[in-house]
Amino acid sequence: MLATKEAVTGASIKKAIESRDGPMLSSFYADDALVRVIDRNNPPSKPREIRGRAAITTFWDDICSRAMSHRVDLTIAQGDNLAFSQDCAYPDGTKVFCAAMLELKDGKIARQTVVQAWDE
Amino acid sequence: MPRPIATRYARSGDVRIAYQVVGQGPLDLVFVPGFISNLDLHWEDEGYSRLLSRLSAFSRLILFDKRGTGLSDRVDAHALPSLETRMDDVRAVMDAAGSSRAAILGASEGAPMAILFAATYPERTRSLVLYAGYAHFHKWVMDPVRLQAFIEATETSWGTGATLQNFAPGRLDDARFAAWWARFERLSASPTAAAALARMNAEIDVRGVLASIRAPTLLVHRRNDARVDPDASRYLARKIPGARLAEVSGRDHPIWTGDVNRVADLIEEFLTGTHAPADTERVLAALLVTRISDTARLGDRMWSERSQRFHETWRLLVGRHGGRIADQHGEVMISRFDGPARAIRCAAALREAAQGIGIASAQGVHVGEVELRAAPSGLTMRVALQIAEHAGRDSILASRLVADLAAGSGLRFSDAGRVVLDDLDDPLALVEATSEQHLEPACQSRTVAAEPSALTARENEVVALIADGKSNATIAAELNLSEHTVKRHVANILMKLDLPSRAAAAAFAVRQTGPDGP
Repeated sequence: MLATKEAVTGASIKKAIESRDGPMLSSFYADDALVRVIDRNNPPSKPREIRGRAAITTFWDDICSRAMSHRVDLTIAQGDNLAFSQDCAYPDGTKVFCAAMLELKDGKIARQTVVQAWDE
Repeated sequence: MPRPIATRYARSGDVRIAYQVVGQGPLDLVFVPGFISNLDLHWEDEGYSRLLSRLSAFSRLILFDKRGTGLSDRVDAHALPSLETRMDDVRAVMDAAGSSRAAILGASEGAPMAILFAATYPERTRSLVLYAGYAHFHKWVMDPVRLQAFIEATETSWGTGATLQNFAPGRLDDARFAAWWARFERLSASPTAAAALARMNAEIDVRGVLASIRAPTLLVHRRNDARVDPDASRYLARKIPGARLAEVSGRDHPIWTGDVNRVADLIEEFLTGTHAPADTERVLAALLVTRISDTARLGDRMWSERSQRFHETWRLLVGRHGGRIADQHGEVMISRFDGPARAIRCAAALREAAQGIGIASAQGVHVGEVELRAAPSGLTMRVALQIAEHAGRDSILASRLVADLAAGSGLRFSDAGRVVLDDLDDPLALVEATSEQHLEPACQSRTVAAEPSALTARENEVVALIADGKSNATIAAELNLSEHTVKRHVANILMKLDLPSRAAAAAFAVRQTGPDGP
């Protein structure tokens, strides 16, 4: 298990996402964390589920390997819940918008739901 | 095609490479096509479209046409670029799409390009999938003599779809696919470019770089691949460190033909570690198996013409009855319907079409669960095929379950005994869709007045004879008609009067005219 370099806060998530720091992002998650992604291909009744830190690490490595820009606009914290919205753009102009809801447990992300929409 | 896919152009040196990006998955997947390609045309073929939809469901799928092919810039056909230059086009497309690291899927001739890319840019290769790949052209695809014949054929018949037999012999009698293939040739490369590409591919030999590949690698090959010897992938499996080989059944070579879902499952599992949840989704469907045969000994040429005509009619009628073409092997055609009544009505229309064309048909209908997104296979399919094998000439045989589910549809069935099938423990009860019944009431207007005046003079004669309890054969003899014509009259009478059976027609005639007749 990687040592947590920073506490999981809106500011640390913003920094890791905007600098495309995959290892940092992965270190925010609990070992048995669950990430659910809802988008056009993965509707609410069948979201794509990424379970466990190993799979989540691969997920962030894949996303962070894209030469794209991310901007985290808004983060809201309430107790053990965090939410943020994110604007992303690919070099060819394709834009993506995501909204994420997170549940923290013992200072780590235990559960995250991402809803995303793409230019296509 | 559910929505338009944007085509963009990446710059690779002086050449523009056309590419498309589709899907929203976390990993990037670059598809390196085989011999020829055309980004726009792929979405018009059912199999190709299904392949791309499956892959883009879990990835951000990046598609492109190699330089000199499809929508990319044409290049001097007499000086086509080396494999290295073409491989560099992959890098240019990835740069344009913002992909620093991607899984690379190389199919057929795309495989050596993908191999070279993985060896040259290990840091940009997340993983490697090679479908029907090879490292040396002459050893596993065509020897120089066969290649020369292929090139000569290209010179004379490019654009007619004549190369289909080299790639997908199982689809030769699929007229619609053959027509698509001819367009695929014309829109993917000019004749000179096609011949030059074939010559250039013949020089492919990437055996030397296999040992240096570090990316996790999956190899997929169909055991009876018509174009590339499966030994090619077995060789790759031995030489690429840690490579996993999956041999699957099938003969047709292009990755978008044959059992596309099986190939997509393997790729998805390898790249994401899981199956698509929807793959196990099963739905209730009625399968109609239509067999045709040359009982009249027409001779090869006439049979082939009629068979082709029937295949075209089959596609038309299945669509018209709300069904879907599911599969086809020569003289056996399989279609899928949401409800059994539609399958039976379509079968009746097909039987009539076969009679019109002058060939014999035999059909079987069964209902059961099938995979939602796959071509039907499994138990329901096997049972439907066996029912069709038991069907006699012009007969429509169905499992008893079909009749039970079609209750209320107005269709009539008669008992046809039981058969013992290999796959089932208990004998299966069969019914036959009855032939006197007019089987297409749903397609016809039901507002016809039930009056004798709606019938022609001849039909009135036939009704009177039916009321006397006479058989079609007797009626035919009395009126000096063929039995077939009498059957047509009976069908028309039932339709016009909106009656379910000849007994009802008899009762109707008696009601109209009294017991002594008109």
